Amino acid sequence: MITGHEGYSVIIKDLDYSIDDNKILKEINLCIGKGELVGLIGPNGAGKTTLLKCICGIYSYDNGEIYVNGLDVRRTDSKKIAREVSLMHQNTNITFPFPAIDVVLTGRYPYLKRFETESSEDYKIARKHMSYTDTLKFESKPVTNMSGGERQRVLFAKVLAQETDLILLDEPTASLDISYEEQIFKYCHELVANGKTVIVAVHDLKLASRYCSRLVLMKDGEIISDGKVEEVLTPENFSTAYGVRAVVYKNRITGLLDFYTHKLEHGKSGKKIHVIGGGGSASGIIRQLFEYGHEVSTGVLFPGDSDLQCADVFGIKAVVSEPFNGISEQYFNENVEFIKNADLTILCNMPFGIQNIRNLEAAAFAQNLVIVEDEPPMSRDYTCGQALEIYKRLAQKAIITTSAKLHEVI
Amino acid sequence: MGNKPKHNSTKKIVLPVMLGVLALVLVLATAIGAVYVPFGETARIILKNIGILKNTAFHEGHEEIIFYVRFPGVLVAALVGAGLATSGTVMQGMFRNPMADPGILGVSSGAGLGAVIAIALGLNSKSIFFLPVFAAIGALAASYTVFRLSKRGGKIPVLTLVLSGIAVSMFLGAMTSIALTTIHGDQIKEYLFWTTGGLTARRWEHVAMAVIPIIACIAMILAYSRDLNILLLGEEEAQAVGLNSTKTRKILLVLTSITTAAAVSVSGNISFVGLIVPHIMRLIVGPDHRILIPVSAVGGSIFLVVCDLIARVIPNPRGIGVGIITSLIGAPYFLFLLVRTRKGGDAI
Repeated sequence: MITGHEGYSVIIKDLDYSIDDNKILKEINLCIGKGELVGLIGPNGAGKTTLLKCICGIYSYDNGEIYVNGLDVRRTDSKKIAREVSLMHQNTNITFPFPAIDVVLTGRYPYLKRFETESSEDYKIARKHMSYTDTLKFESKPVTNMSGGERQRVLFAKVLAQETDLILLDEPTASLDISYEEQIFKYCHELVANGKTVIVAVHDLKLASRYCSRLVLMKDGEIISDGKVEEVLTPENFSTAYGVRAVVYKNRITGLLDFYTHKLEHGKSGKKIHVIGGGGSASGIIRQLFEYGHEVSTGVLFPGDSDLQCADVFGIKAVVSEPFNGISEQYFNENVEFIKNADLTILCNMPFGIQNIRNLEAAAFAQNLVIVEDEPPMSRDYTCGQALEIYKRLAQKAIITTSAKLHEVI
Repeated sequence: MGNKPKHNSTKKIVLPVMLGVLALVLVLATAIGAVYVPFGETARIILKNIGILKNTAFHEGHEEIIFYVRFPGVLVAALVGAGLATSGTVMQGMFRNPMADPGILGVSSGAGLGAVIAIALGLNSKSIFFLPVFAAIGALAASYTVFRLSKRGGKIPVLTLVLSGIAVSMFLGAMTSIALTTIHGDQIKEYLFWTTGGLTARRWEHVAMAVIPIIACIAMILAYSRDLNILLLGEEEAQAVGLNSTKTRKILLVLTSITTAAAVSVSGNISFVGLIVPHIMRLIVGPDHRILIPVSAVGGSIFLVVCDLIARVIPNPRGIGVGIITSLIGAPYFLFLLVRTRKGGDAI
């Protein structure tokens, strides 16, 4: 035990790992405290699996040091390390028909001497963890006859049977149903609450952001961000690590951190497009235009409208009126200014009322007008025909389409 | 809670039953021959000579035939069968490949070259010890070469091991062919007799040569049976529970080489025992090596003693090599496995 390591489960200093001349890990420095649930994220080939395998001593690294609970991984007997840290591999392909209980009992290997057989205590521990992962009911079923979910839970029980303070999970939810995905993370949450430390390499960023107390983002063998979920999942990090444009926001319905990403496309010349919508009619269209890389503006919207939230999330300019009032002269003019400057104006499939009728009037100033008509305008008119009148006039010089075909027009 | 599962106890009766069958087969194989000795008398002769029975009388001359001519041959068959089947079980487990057998290590071809050298130098006619010793040296040298060639940075990857095994075997086979062109008629017959698995004319000296390495190695392999189970789950799965897989595999490779070399040196090349016996036994007791290894060892003994008996009773003036019988049974079984695998089912 080295002093100064109290309270830390893992300390990694200047770790390098390479295969032949390929540097897989470069100068990794990482300290993980006891009781943390850390999500290791990053694109494919970032080095997440390699890092986990270095921590539990499967890969012998070139430079640097790794301490697990104060023990130098490289210089400690492998059975002793296996009593401190366990790893659940990403793909475990078992081709021989061992019954589940035998697989779980292999987790007891680091505690047994060469000629020792598993005691009833070992069986008790194995069964305890099988009942926790709900696999006790098929303890004598061969693992080769199991579904992916069943086998994964058996392997999870095996990792738990190793009874280590530090648990490493490499993509534990790959190839699992969503119900099991949630379950595995709930187990992790409970383990951490009981004082264990868990590091989980995970692809699903939504699961990671929901359950992990800390995220470590890797790219090309380096840690590029490390911290709380909100600190790591920023649009900038999304763009450097994954090469995608991302929008990070708080989901209004679930209250959770949510994000929307799409692949960055370079060299697209964006048009100026103004969207007239409201009541949720503009959101999908705004997203679509954002993806195409157009310069989008919208208005006039009223506070509380979900289209306004959408505009916020995607960071586009919006003309916003005061609540429960009609559109004042000031906002009307602002809106018309946007419309006049835009290469294209889109009138969404929105309901018309007294409050927003001036948006229709503003549309008349458009250079090019596209009307999205998913439902007949009659059914959306709440102004006793007044709006319909304007609509018909607009329709004469506009291209009329549906949301599904909008991309053809643009 | 805390009880061991039931399936272990039902499988435990397999071993005693097979040991009983082995005892019966040993006596039966000794009793049957050109001169028929009744089963009971055979049993009494064996028991008397190993010091269990006293004061029994036999038909004149039977004691010589049974205890000094036939019984050593049967015992060699049993030892060789146990050794080859155990090695095969370990190979299949270690490589996670149901088609693996001890031949991959180049042991057989090395032993063949050793044997042909002993014959070419005319040593075989001077003492019966030369041929087995040369064969054993050839076998161990071949497998050592295969290990050295396939070592990559302290590890022995399966693919390079298999490929080096094939290359070394080919090379040694060519050397053997060259050596064969230098020897004359009678010596070629001697070689042919050895290479098809000669268990006739085995004496107590042969038993003495094989018994210690084979029994000792099987015992040591048994001590590693749990490690083998864990290796079956995969190299990295094994390392994650603290098993030093590289070291374990090296030890197991050395043990199986010695076992196979000891077996081949006293019996010649006997193919397919190491391949089919572990398969049959795995079907009966499952993949747990703690049961599979002892059961395969006993099963290999029974199989080879029976094959040897068949080889002896087939009328043929010069006798027929037991390796021919095992191949006649083994090759169709091997094809059966292939067909079954191709149909999409597991071969095991």
